[in-house]
Amino acid sequence: MSPLFMTLLLVVGLGIFARTMYQRILLLMALEPTDRFNRIKDRLKNMVIIALGQKRLVGRKKERASGIMHALIFWGFCVLIIRSITLYGEGYVHGFQLPLLGESSVLGYLYIALKDIMEGVVLIMVIWAFYRRLVVKPPRLHNTWEAYLVLGMIGVLMISDLLYDGARFNLIASYGNPGDLHYFNNPTFGQEFLWTPVTVLAGNVISGFSATGMERVMGLMFWIHIITQLAFLNFLPLGKHFHVITSLPNVFLKSLDYPHDKIKLLDLEDESVWEDETLGVNHLHQLNWKQGLDLYTCTECGRCKEVCPTYVTDKPLNLHDFNDTLKAELYANADNLILRAKLAKILTGDAEKDAKTKEKMAVFKPEKALVGEVIALDTLWACTTCRACEQVCPVTIEHVPRIIAMRQGQTLMQGEYPQELNTAFKGLERNGNPWGIGYDKRADWAEGLDVKLMADHPDAEYLLWVGCAGSFDDRTQKVTKALVKILKAAKVDFAILGTEEKCTGDFARRTGNEMMYQMMATENIEVLNGYNVKKIIAACPHCLNTLKHDYPQMGGHYEVVHHSAFINQLIADGKIRVKKSLAGMLTYHDPCYLGRYNEIYDAPRNVLNTLSSQGLNELPRHGTESFCCGAGGGRMWMEETIGSRINVERSKEIVAENAETVAVGCPFCLTMIEDGMKELNKDEDIKTRDIAELVAEHLA
Amino acid sequence: MKILTTVKKVVDVELNIHVENGAILDKGLQYVINAWDENAVEAAVQLKESHKADTTLVSLGSGDNTDIIRKCYAMGIDNAIHIDDPALAKADSPTFARVLQKVYEAGDYDLVITGKQAQDTDAGQAGIMLAQFLNIPCVSNVIKIEVTDDSHIQVSRLGDAGTEILDVTLPAVITVSDGINEPRLPAMRGIMMAKKKKINVMDLAGLGTSFEDVGGTAPTSEIVEFMPTEKRKGGQKFEGEPAEVTAKVVDLLVNEAKVL
Ligand code: SF4
Ligand code: SF4
Repeated sequence: MSPLFMTLLLVVGLGIFARTMYQRILLLMALEPTDRFNRIKDRLKNMVIIALGQKRLVGRKKERASGIMHALIFWGFCVLIIRSITLYGEGYVHGFQLPLLGESSVLGYLYIALKDIMEGVVLIMVIWAFYRRLVVKPPRLHNTWEAYLVLGMIGVLMISDLLYDGARFNLIASYGNPGDLHYFNNPTFGQEFLWTPVTVLAGNVISGFSATGMERVMGLMFWIHIITQLAFLNFLPLGKHFHVITSLPNVFLKSLDYPHDKIKLLDLEDESVWEDETLGVNHLHQLNWKQGLDLYTCTECGRCKEVCPTYVTDKPLNLHDFNDTLKAELYANADNLILRAKLAKILTGDAEKDAKTKEKMAVFKPEKALVGEVIALDTLWACTTCRACEQVCPVTIEHVPRIIAMRQGQTLMQGEYPQELNTAFKGLERNGNPWGIGYDKRADWAEGLDVKLMADHPDAEYLLWVGCAGSFDDRTQKVTKALVKILKAAKVDFAILGTEEKCTGDFARRTGNEMMYQMMATENIEVLNGYNVKKIIAACPHCLNTLKHDYPQMGGHYEVVHHSAFINQLIADGKIRVKKSLAGMLTYHDPCYLGRYNEIYDAPRNVLNTLSSQGLNELPRHGTESFCCGAGGGRMWMEETIGSRINVERSKEIVAENAETVAVGCPFCLTMIEDGMKELNKDEDIKTRDIAELVAEHLA
Repeated sequence: MKILTTVKKVVDVELNIHVENGAILDKGLQYVINAWDENAVEAAVQLKESHKADTTLVSLGSGDNTDIIRKCYAMGIDNAIHIDDPALAKADSPTFARVLQKVYEAGDYDLVITGKQAQDTDAGQAGIMLAQFLNIPCVSNVIKIEVTDDSHIQVSRLGDAGTEILDVTLPAVITVSDGINEPRLPAMRGIMMAKKKKINVMDLAGLGTSFEDVGGTAPTSEIVEFMPTEKRKGGQKFEGEPAEVTAKVVDLLVNEAKVL
């Protein structure tokens, strides 16, 4: 075609793109560090499955259709990238072909066939997407002009390429190939036209043009395609379609193992952190670069908010707005953040020498307070940390660690948190439990049950971690007693810590009170390690999660098992026998910290299926997409004054399934759902029971 | 305005208190800041915030009170004095009031705010006696303080017949009830920063007095013996038709409990 024009387009198009990207990368580099370059193999695997394989789009039953649509557009794009390179080459070399993909190899033919089909498929998908946005209007979608523009551009890309090739085919086949146009023609594989039916069809559509008209159409389509492509490329980083570029790296760089980035163990003893407000995220620059990349990558698809218990019950936390607002703030302060980071590099660690630099750095502080002005307090405190959002996010964005880090800033630095938490914090400080009941009453529930104390039986094989609810809450005490009955029936060698046990600190940590958490954790770990405890049974998923995933950061390493999994094993090993005599419709509510945080889905179900004569009935929202009870993330200790109540929303779902018994595996879920049933006047008809209670009732 | 507040460290009454041979067993006990004094501190800090009052805290006792004083610092108190004298372990209310009098006289205070009583002894005397010794006005059981001008405040107190509103001329002593405010839980940052603040610790001699001077050697009252409280028995639950249940309950109240 025209090398000069092509060069001009490429220089301008790629030049502007490179500049934007450079700015975006500089901004990320101005944020806090985090190491995401280890375990490359695992990272590649994630990238292949989640990003390239579009697992969370295609994998969700509920959204399979639109998931497949997106996947096809994405895969189509992947295929067409190679085609684009060929087109750029065509700008310089007449009949340009890529090595290996030329007409001499079968690969070349396979590729043109694939490209041909994919262009057709993508075009159909684009039409469907338009239809979906304009007519179906799924509520989670944010209908913006940007979405239409991008869809339009994709359509133009497909059509222009098809018509370019169609016109080329017409010129070759019907007009004697006046420009000596190149086409695949290999004696073994035949002519190009045989392999590209969609293009041939496109050619037929425009067959009415004269030879010159056809040549003009071909040239026009070629340049429209190239210009649209470069425009598209430059448009991507400006809005939510940045994800086209950032998704793959974002998934590659996601945190590994534990469902999300673990809460950072803060060094509270260091005096300077208190003066410099460097605990938690108080300011924009305290986000780490991966959190920044998360913000770049959010596609505003709304899947997160659709599953979020707070959004569903009309609370102000709307995750995609949350992300969008933060991203806008990040962009608005980009220059300042970059300048600030430059200064931060010359800090020496010597307070006196640094005073001047810090003064200069302060100038670059954003005008608005990150929490309170950019993100409203009610928004920040609404989250139950249930992780439903993270589980569905197709690009693996982690909301919860960011929310908790911001809460840390609020609780530790500003003292701004829902005041109801005070009572619970005070209780923790004085008596090691959020109710504030005397610590010496912790083992009162065990009176007369002949439960051994670790102090008297330090060699016990298992420690039964009772937890605050299991110790102090009347209702949950029944669960503890049922569990003791089971353990005794199975002759398990276990003991409890009694008054030496304290709250694990879960709710303190998740409300950002790292100080209180560390206080609890230090004391507990000291006691646990003092007894050389190895194996722990916990009936509370929050305790389980904290003991198992948080305590190792502070030197507590234990094998922790949830009572449902333990009971499941007891049944499997024949250590206890149960009757299949649980009558009536039985359903199960997955606790977030058991399911999504610890991937324990099957054990409780196995146990329940062993008990129930008619088998377990699943709720509409179950397993990985279970709906939170509303108590996690310290919400148990805060009032729920905005919108409708989360526990009632969940209870309604249970009622609608005509359940007679709903099984749970968490003391908070137990309280919340039982309260929900009371609120709906259904507590007489629907029993809320912990798995342990059901098993104890049906021991053979 | 200069305010003096007092705090006492008391045994945590949430815990089971074990008594043996007429004395409290120290095992398993823990000590906390007296809840009403926390209200007093909060009230002082609020006046600091609204009227730029200068706040001083005094704690009396034998032994280390650093933890509770730090907490008050973190809540916003400006200065703290701790009178640490082993002799005070056995002191009664008038003695404490005398010590407070000495502290008061050493400063130049306009207002003393104390908790209406201490959670351990529930005596509720020290504040009132202090006013008596100083011969200044005293209002007890206060649930609201408003500053009128430099030398007057208006307070509401919970009286027997309802809320009483009083104009008070300063200097004065007021003792506060828990209805006055919800004490803040100091921000963690405040607690950490408070570590750096100095506490003015002195014994009775340091205060320019002696145990004898404050009446400690001639106590007006003495603790003779501690006795454990009786455990409350569990209640009874009645179920059935309202009419039947009512008849049964009335019968029990008349014949068994003999209260009707
Ligand atoms: S965070 Fe994830 S799920 Fe939520 S809108 Fe963004 S991309 Fe979609
Ligand atoms: S963790 Fe749960 S409550 Fe929090 S934002 Fe995500 S979905 Fe909503």
